[in-house]
Amino acid sequence: MFALVGRSIESLYQVARGLKTVFKHTVRPPITKNFPDDMPDLPGHFRGRLALAVNPQTSEHLCISCLQCERVCPDKCIQITSHKSPETNKPELIEFKIDHGLCMFCGLCTEVCPTSCIINTNDFEMADYTRESLVYDLKRLTLSQDESAHYFAKKELPMPKPKPPKPAAKPAAPAAAAKPAEDKPEAKPEVKAEAKPQDLPAAPAPESPKKEEQ
Amino acid sequence: MSVELSSPDLKTDEMIINMGPQHPATHGVLRLILTLDGEICKHVEPVLGHLHRAQEWQGQNRTWFQYQALIDRVDYLSGMYTSWAMARAAEQIDGLVVPKRAEYLRVILSEMNRITSHLLWLGTYLIDLGAMFGFPFYPFREREKLFDLFEEVAGQRMMFNYIRIGGVLRNPPFGWFDKLKRFTDEFPDRIDEYEAIVTENPIFLKRTKGVGILKKETAMAYGVTGPCIRASGIPLDLRKTKPYSVYPELDFKVQTMDGDGDTWARYMCRIREMRESNEIIRQAIEKIPGGTTEELRKLLGTTGPEKDESKDLDPSFLLMAKKQNAGLRVKAGEGFAAVESPRGTIGCYVISNGSDKAYRFKWRNPSFCNLSVLPELLVGAPIADIMAIFGSIDVILPDVDR
Repeated sequence: MFALVGRSIESLYQVARGLKTVFKHTVRPPITKNFPDDMPDLPGHFRGRLALAVNPQTSEHLCISCLQCERVCPDKCIQITSHKSPETNKPELIEFKIDHGLCMFCGLCTEVCPTSCIINTNDFEMADYTRESLVYDLKRLTLSQDESAHYFAKKELPMPKPKPPKPAAKPAAPAAAAKPAEDKPEAKPEVKAEAKPQDLPAAPAPESPKKEEQ
Repeated sequence: MSVELSSPDLKTDEMIINMGPQHPATHGVLRLILTLDGEICKHVEPVLGHLHRAQEWQGQNRTWFQYQALIDRVDYLSGMYTSWAMARAAEQIDGLVVPKRAEYLRVILSEMNRITSHLLWLGTYLIDLGAMFGFPFYPFREREKLFDLFEEVAGQRMMFNYIRIGGVLRNPPFGWFDKLKRFTDEFPDRIDEYEAIVTENPIFLKRTKGVGILKKETAMAYGVTGPCIRASGIPLDLRKTKPYSVYPELDFKVQTMDGDGDTWARYMCRIREMRESNEIIRQAIEKIPGGTTEELRKLLGTTGPEKDESKDLDPSFLLMAKKQNAGLRVKAGEGFAAVESPRGTIGCYVISNGSDKAYRFKWRNPSFCNLSVLPELLVGAPIADIMAIFGSIDVILPDVDR
């Protein structure tokens, strides 16, 4: 009998102790953030939507079509179209497509990029109505000069060297030098990279007519 | 444990019921085929594989560099540990010595990850038990603070891709260590709050004390690891029993519970582990070579991150012992490494043939081994206890199925 009374009192005390903690929380300031009104202060290394930066000083496009990001992407969501410029004999960017519906935001493409062109922005509000609109093309991917400057400062990236007027000593040169060195050991991925463009154009092709319909 | 809910007069037929795969309390997609006699569970058969993603196969078809980014996703609540196991296995093959600062950063971030994992378990476990009065969100408040810190250093909140073969990715930003220090100072008080609400609550005690008893012998026979086996009284913790990284330099105790190893003991073991992890973080911040990022930059006389990797630096201040690029290679050979994750021992066995892809991966995942003991625990328990027992062994279904 006494034991039962004792247990009841003990239980009541423990419940009261818990409830005291709960009630203490009712007078604490809220910890939730009013998301759409005040945006979170994201760090520079946050891996958000992918974008292509331009040179913050000269507004030149930084991409040199080295295709390293396309090759390293585990999801194969990057598709680059380039051709060899007949005047300079250097690859020239025509189209750059990233399917953000496939992207897993691992940030590997930004790590291998020799010119810090492809970067993860702090933008994360990418919800959209169709899957096709998640495929970003070159125009939607390219950042403005101010935005690029903002991200270069925030990510503490080294400033790119401005492209000299003569195309002979482009910033492409160090990347081109680095590429063959990597290509030699990477015999197998090279074969894959060749095989892939055959597959890929087949996939986006049915998408493009849909876009026109819209 | 047996409950007298039926008598010989009320003989009923056995009934087979499927619990899951879409059951809100199974933390994923686990199907339990229960054979019931009235309220009592007679036989349990877990059906796995709904989340199978062929992680081992993917490891053999992706380069090392690509697989590092993927492996966080196996156990999404403690991604640091799977990365760490794989990194250690590859470092073993390569014979790399990871710089001291990188090892300390690994310890700090993975202990933070242990806390976030246990906090999520605490919140969801109380939901499993029916405690829906708002408490589950108290642990999430602290978890959120840690995730903000993860985001600053690794770039994402759960899929870190931070621990790499040969080191860690980058130094934390300015002010990060101060924030973490502030967190470690206030966190013990927060655990006191959880304990005030939960630990001695009579309803919680009724639901958990003496329920789902896991005996020492059974736990050992089934290869249970992690807090589950420590709650049964066996001090198996790889951080102590097979020390790796810089754990020998840190002062901490293996948390074991005396007694039966019931669900309450497993709860208590995790609470104590969180306190212990907090202490480890506090010590590691004190001992890290080079100090905080501000101190390190002052030491080097730079303001930017570009000198963090320079060659003329004290080797213990470096972060990476291996260059990270798309053609990352590991020497031919085989290696095995195990780390102590919040759920138990994660083992990674890998054979490399010297190319940029691994020849074979084999993972030993703690959730899978811990789940195998579930039929032993559930037989004889009433239906109402099934979720209390299942929740207490803390499995992550993607980790079970890989």
